[in-house]
Amino acid sequence: MSNPKTGEPNLSQVEKIKMKSDGLRGSLAESLQDQLTGALREEDQSLIKHHGMYQQDDRDLRESRAQKKLEWLYSYMIRLRLPGGFLNPSQWVALHHIAGEHSTGVIKITTRQTIQLHGILKSHLKPTLKAFATQRLDSIAACGDVNRNVICSAHPKQSRAHEEVFAYADKISTLALPRTNAYYEIWLDREALTNKEEEIDPLYQDRYLPRKFKIAICIPPNNDVDVFANDIGLIAILDGDKLLGFNVAIGGGLGTTHGNADTYPRLATVIGFVASEEKILKAVYEIITVQRDFGNRSDRKQARLKYTIDRMGLDAFKSEVEKRCGFEFEPAKPFSFSERTDYFGWHQNHEGNWYYTLFVENGRIADENRAIKTALYEAAQTGKTNFRFTANQKVILSDIHPSDKKAIEQILEKYDLIKHTDEAIPMRQNAIACVALNTCPLALAEGQRYLPTLISKLEPLLKKYKLENDPISIRMTGCPNGCGRPYLAEIGLIGTSYGRYNLHLGGDRLGERLNEKKYEQVNEEEIISILDPLFKKYAAAKKKYQSFGDFIHQNPELVTTR
Amino acid sequence: MLSEGRLRTLNDFIEKTTKEELIWINGYIAGLISSAGPSVAEPAQPSKKFTILYGTDTGNSKKLALEFTALAKKQGGKVKVSGMDAYKPEDLAQEKQLCIIMSTHGDGDPPPAAKKFYDHLMETGTQYPNLEFALLALGDSSYPLFCKAGEEVHNRLLALGATSVFPLQKCDIDYQEEANNWFQLYLNSFPSAAPAPPVPPKKAPHTKKWYSGVIKTNINLNGHTSSKETHHLEIRTLEPVLYEPGDALGVIPKNRKSTVDEILSLLQVDSNLSVPYKGSAYTLSNLLTQTFNICHLKESQVQKYADLTGHEIPKVRMDLLDLLKIYPVRNSRQFIEFTAHLTEQLPRLYSICSSPQAREFEIHILVGKNSFEAQGENRFGLCSEQLNELYEGTPVEFYIHKNKSFRLPSPDTDVILIGPGTGIAPMRAFIEDRDASGASGRNWLIFGEQHFVSDFYYQTEIQQYASTGILHQVDLAWSRDQKEKQYVQHRMREKGEELYEWLRGGAHVFVSGTRSPMSEDVEKAWIDIIYTHSGKSAPESEAWWNEIKESGQYKADVY
Repeated sequence: MSNPKTGEPNLSQVEKIKMKSDGLRGSLAESLQDQLTGALREEDQSLIKHHGMYQQDDRDLRESRAQKKLEWLYSYMIRLRLPGGFLNPSQWVALHHIAGEHSTGVIKITTRQTIQLHGILKSHLKPTLKAFATQRLDSIAACGDVNRNVICSAHPKQSRAHEEVFAYADKISTLALPRTNAYYEIWLDREALTNKEEEIDPLYQDRYLPRKFKIAICIPPNNDVDVFANDIGLIAILDGDKLLGFNVAIGGGLGTTHGNADTYPRLATVIGFVASEEKILKAVYEIITVQRDFGNRSDRKQARLKYTIDRMGLDAFKSEVEKRCGFEFEPAKPFSFSERTDYFGWHQNHEGNWYYTLFVENGRIADENRAIKTALYEAAQTGKTNFRFTANQKVILSDIHPSDKKAIEQILEKYDLIKHTDEAIPMRQNAIACVALNTCPLALAEGQRYLPTLISKLEPLLKKYKLENDPISIRMTGCPNGCGRPYLAEIGLIGTSYGRYNLHLGGDRLGERLNEKKYEQVNEEEIISILDPLFKKYAAAKKKYQSFGDFIHQNPELVTTR
Repeated sequence: MLSEGRLRTLNDFIEKTTKEELIWINGYIAGLISSAGPSVAEPAQPSKKFTILYGTDTGNSKKLALEFTALAKKQGGKVKVSGMDAYKPEDLAQEKQLCIIMSTHGDGDPPPAAKKFYDHLMETGTQYPNLEFALLALGDSSYPLFCKAGEEVHNRLLALGATSVFPLQKCDIDYQEEANNWFQLYLNSFPSAAPAPPVPPKKAPHTKKWYSGVIKTNINLNGHTSSKETHHLEIRTLEPVLYEPGDALGVIPKNRKSTVDEILSLLQVDSNLSVPYKGSAYTLSNLLTQTFNICHLKESQVQKYADLTGHEIPKVRMDLLDLLKIYPVRNSRQFIEFTAHLTEQLPRLYSICSSPQAREFEIHILVGKNSFEAQGENRFGLCSEQLNELYEGTPVEFYIHKNKSFRLPSPDTDVILIGPGTGIAPMRAFIEDRDASGASGRNWLIFGEQHFVSDFYYQTEIQQYASTGILHQVDLAWSRDQKEKQYVQHRMREKGEELYEWLRGGAHVFVSGTRSPMSEDVEKAWIDIIYTHSGKSAPESEAWWNEIKESGQYKADVY
């Protein structure tokens, strides 16, 4: 698809929308005023992503509403920008009320360490964002073709340098914020800028990035953030308690499209080491500008950084970055991962503060089987705990002074949450599922509504082979876009149509090797009958410390393709 | 038609004529006939009459469909537009000209909203020899099965005997220009005839004429979270029904068979027991089913029953069945004696919400479940159970109840339609009528209910009327979507200046719904609006409003 006169590739529709959007304003003001529909104008639907929102609809109701001559039940998802995933107790209390008043009430922890609310009607968008603003919270750039929420190894016990590393999440997020006042004008009714020059954006210009952009920071030996799944992965290199700098990995990204052979998941490649804060921020900034200038803007399915790098060649990409930085990367420092996990239960950091990582199945905070939402609200009301989110959809009640531990523990016990966390088998504790049906417009199959049931059906098998304490990673997504990082699981299930999934096997447990598609479009019965004999063989023949994923990878003959 | 001699002359002439000459002559004669006027020509048909059907996924097909509709209407077309999800596939048999716009989803599948239509088409055995269609398929050429769903529908229609008047058009993601060109060519393909002369409204006969029809559709328009239940019923008839927008539909309700059976078993009598009534003999079962009102008996009837049976019964209204259950009669003779005090079923009236101009063999009504209590049993009263029993295929007998004081003004007069709740019914009829007849006056709809999400009756239709320019203004009030209750009169006051301009310009105002407090509040709002924007004093404003009412510029159908 190129222009026959100039030979230049045609810009994709979204590129045109961004460029003429006047700093992401588009016709949002008019769209919000249109009383006849709960939807936004089509072009504005692309723009609100950059403001941290998606337009969605209840897909279960589409058919019945059409008969009733009602339009689809449109609502919006709002995702906060929370670099490193941190909320103080007063922010939690506010979030609790905002969720109740304006959304479905469920607080969903995402795989990028933030929270999102669903089911917000168009008329509730401004009140919701205004309420968040009173707590100094915003959703700017939480979605869209910009740098998304920056994630960071969650647990402070990871290192004495955790706080210093964690601070980079915020610094990078601020560095890569779009320079437009649009969010404040449209959602918070602030005055328009008189001097438009203030909006000149040297990073994003008027076209933003070709596609979404993700940055993660991790502290070895725990790869809890799946650092290689990101466009930029920063791996902290420590000398004891001292942060020396970061190894920089680029070009990770998991999303694919069914039936499009030119799309593939890719792990980030380590390109070197950078030491000082100034250089680290400069390197991140210029990697973004190179992607901005060289990324594919005609085909959105070829627009992520991973494709830019593979097209240009890693060396050419790296030298363009170094040229713009004015310095060269040092050779990468040695590092290694030994785990990829959240630390469930009580743990202490080096200062003696306490942390409780709570099991939240698929990150859905609600009062369903257990009153998790009420319990967290009560804990927040004491003012004695902060809240940190993990990149695996869990929450850590954090920074609790030793003298306050008992009060928090009592609340957890009152709502039976300690038992709730302890009794979940490791497979369930570490499982990830995306939102999918009935909310996500991209979903082809169930995600979070179904994975818990599937695990309940796998649990007896694991018990039969005494594998119930083996933290085999299982991840499910309703489409191939990769939000739940299914390509990095030992068992990855990627929705193809209602009730059917591609079954991927053989990923490692540390997030350093992608799994492979072994079975196409299998249903529940088939999934179970495939896994049963594999679990059996694994239990019988596994070597010490050998994970299920490694076992399958090293014994490919075990997987008999039908 | 021609005498033998003249036919021979013609044949001789044709024999000596070349093909090109014949084509020219053909055109020449067609010209002669059309200039000779309607006395010679076929009755003039609206030149561009067709239905646009869209199957949309991301909204592109819908957007095109609405743009095309607006364009066609501007060029004098008579167009119906519908999404495939809202379209009844059985209606295909009635279509003559169909323009389909549909996208392809995922791996060559139809979009989910088009699935029902698509499946029907693939499975049906119905032939459509009279259907002419054109299809525009949207797709993304980066997928291998580019525009596959559209292509399949195209081929299937051909297989079912329909004629494609235009080659299948496939459009890629940059579809706009190509699509516009295609549609303009499609429009041009219609023979350009002179616009049809206005059809004089058909005069309804004076006597009450009974029609038979069959329920074609019965849908509760309220979304699943609503506290309301409002049924839209479509009745199909074999003959055209003579009515005008604003009229009501009358039926005599039948009592439920299960209720009648229960009464008969309580009385322990044979259902064929003969009972005298008005000088003839009827079976008791017939009388109880078809003649008597047995619901919600009046206090006076209940007291008559008490006197006859000797029970002491409080002064309340009751259903006959409950009465018999709680206060049994001594024997069936005592009951038959009581039947003399039963009254006959009165016809029930329902607001018609369709226009005969828009659909010939169909009539639509709108019935609110709560209307039974709100509006008294003589009007709009239909028990909720009965509503749900009107399945598709149920036969109904009905007549038209004329409502001569509730009629649209001349086509070039603006109208302001205020119809909250089920008051939307006649407004929908008016809008359909103004759309179908191509009335040039502007239309302003003001509607209200409890919740936007679940109670926006005819939302998708209203959206289409707004985007095709039939509705010039739409204002909506949702009483329970915010802390303070908001009603139609609140919207009116906000738009006071414009409303005053329309009114001063001669716009006719229609109000339908509850008399109190709605229509009273609406009238108060009008007087305030006049006072605020006219510069008149308060008494002068009220006097002017009264003039407007008396002159018929304001028309209310309230209950």
